[in-house]
Amino acid sequence: MEKIQIVLDINDKPCEVMIYPNDTLLEVLRDELDLTGSKESCGEGVCGSCTIQMDGKPVRSCLTLAMEAVGTKIKTVEGLANGNELSDLQQSFIDHGAVQCGFCTPGMLMTADALLKDNPRPDDKTIRKALAGNICRCTGYAKIITAVAHTGNPQDHCPDCKIGSKAKE
Amino acid sequence: MRLPRFDYLKPDTLKAALELLALHKDDAKILAGGTDLLVRMKNGLLNPKVVISLKALNELSYIKKQAGYIKIGARTSLADIIASDLIQKEAKALFQACEKVGAITIQHYRGTIGGNILQDNRCQYYNQSDFHRSGHQACHKAGGKICYAREEADRCNSTCQSDGATALMALGAQIILAGKDGERTVDLADFYTTDGIMPHACESHELLKEIIIPVLGAHSAYQRLAYRSAIDYPIVCAGVLLKPSPENEIEDARIVVGAIGRSPLFLAKASASLKGKRFTDMTAFKKAADDSMNASAPFAVHNVGATLEYRCAMVSRMVFQALEQAAFSAAKE
Repeated sequence: MEKIQIVLDINDKPCEVMIYPNDTLLEVLRDELDLTGSKESCGEGVCGSCTIQMDGKPVRSCLTLAMEAVGTKIKTVEGLANGNELSDLQQSFIDHGAVQCGFCTPGMLMTADALLKDNPRPDDKTIRKALAGNICRCTGYAKIITAVAHTGNPQDHCPDCKIGSKAKE
Repeated sequence: MRLPRFDYLKPDTLKAALELLALHKDDAKILAGGTDLLVRMKNGLLNPKVVISLKALNELSYIKKQAGYIKIGARTSLADIIASDLIQKEAKALFQACEKVGAITIQHYRGTIGGNILQDNRCQYYNQSDFHRSGHQACHKAGGKICYAREEADRCNSTCQSDGATALMALGAQIILAGKDGERTVDLADFYTTDGIMPHACESHELLKEIIIPVLGAHSAYQRLAYRSAIDYPIVCAGVLLKPSPENEIEDARIVVGAIGRSPLFLAKASASLKGKRFTDMTAFKKAADDSMNASAPFAVHNVGATLEYRCAMVSRMVFQALEQAAFSAAKE
């Protein structure tokens, strides 16, 4: 079996890689392209820590062949920030203490980011439902949900919340 | 976990896919969403030489209404089915079933309806890693002569945990299987073989092309029980369909219980007991639910985690809830 050359569109940059047909997208991202933000945990689509976006939709990269990703627009957690400037969602995660060990965070961010694009002001129930496929081993769910809700709707969600206002100024 | 090696083929047309399938037969596996196939390959349960991807076959992704039938292409993603007004209105059970498969934002964009109904039967003693399985002798499904789920069983007792299959069977769906030399239409109820090792009658040269649901003007509902709703497979599920007569009585009923046996179980006696009853007759519903429990309990084995007694008891609950919900949507009209 020989390696095949493919071009993947990752974070708006074309990346040329040599892969085997049985490489998953996660393996290519981490091992070939050094984009180690996406994590492998269960490897069978249960935990959600390998979540990336394909054409704006969250998918498990551990259950997606790299060959299947050719021709789609891939966004990983590395593509969320604009240079050194974090996205609102990332800043909100930091401000609300939604990161403990941090292993689930890339997956949480990618799922939440896709949710906020579809529904910029989600309520708690929608957020819970959207993040149901991402498991946090530290069980810091409450803060993660607050962080997502705050990004979408800072005024209504926590009117007295000073968090994040600094970053905005 | 790494995948075993294989050749990746991506045909551009259905015809090309069927030719490849006819050429490779048992050596080939079809890849649609990959949420079932790739997990089994990672666990070393499957080792196909060739994987045929349906990625380029957009012709198999559609939902349309035609002459009293809803037709769904096999590669239609679960997300598309949930988003469809037609399915929500005319085939509520399927909508509810697809909504409950896996995590709403993740599996839905990859997982397909065809893959959901063709998924392999599962068993907690079989669907494990190579390392886990190396600790004991091979079971029936792995080529041995032992069943860990039921002592002294002479065959595999793995469980069909497909949400889509249970709902579609309640809706009286048919499927079209395409081969290189032609197509055949099969009732979904006849498609499942009740054999744990080969759970469905899809030949190795065939490809699931289309799912056909008759529009009967009936009310359907689906209920499922799982430990973690966004992650686990169901431990019990039930799909029901109630067809009203002009006098607003139940003219025809279908009760299907899933995740209990080797295939979804259509319970003819319990279903027939509802004929001629009124939609408000909760006693009849309760009795049909208890009958369903008694009829399906002998098929259950201890192989999906929950205790057997609990699962069997919950059959009655799931069927009753589904009946109640279908009757409720009937009352709303």
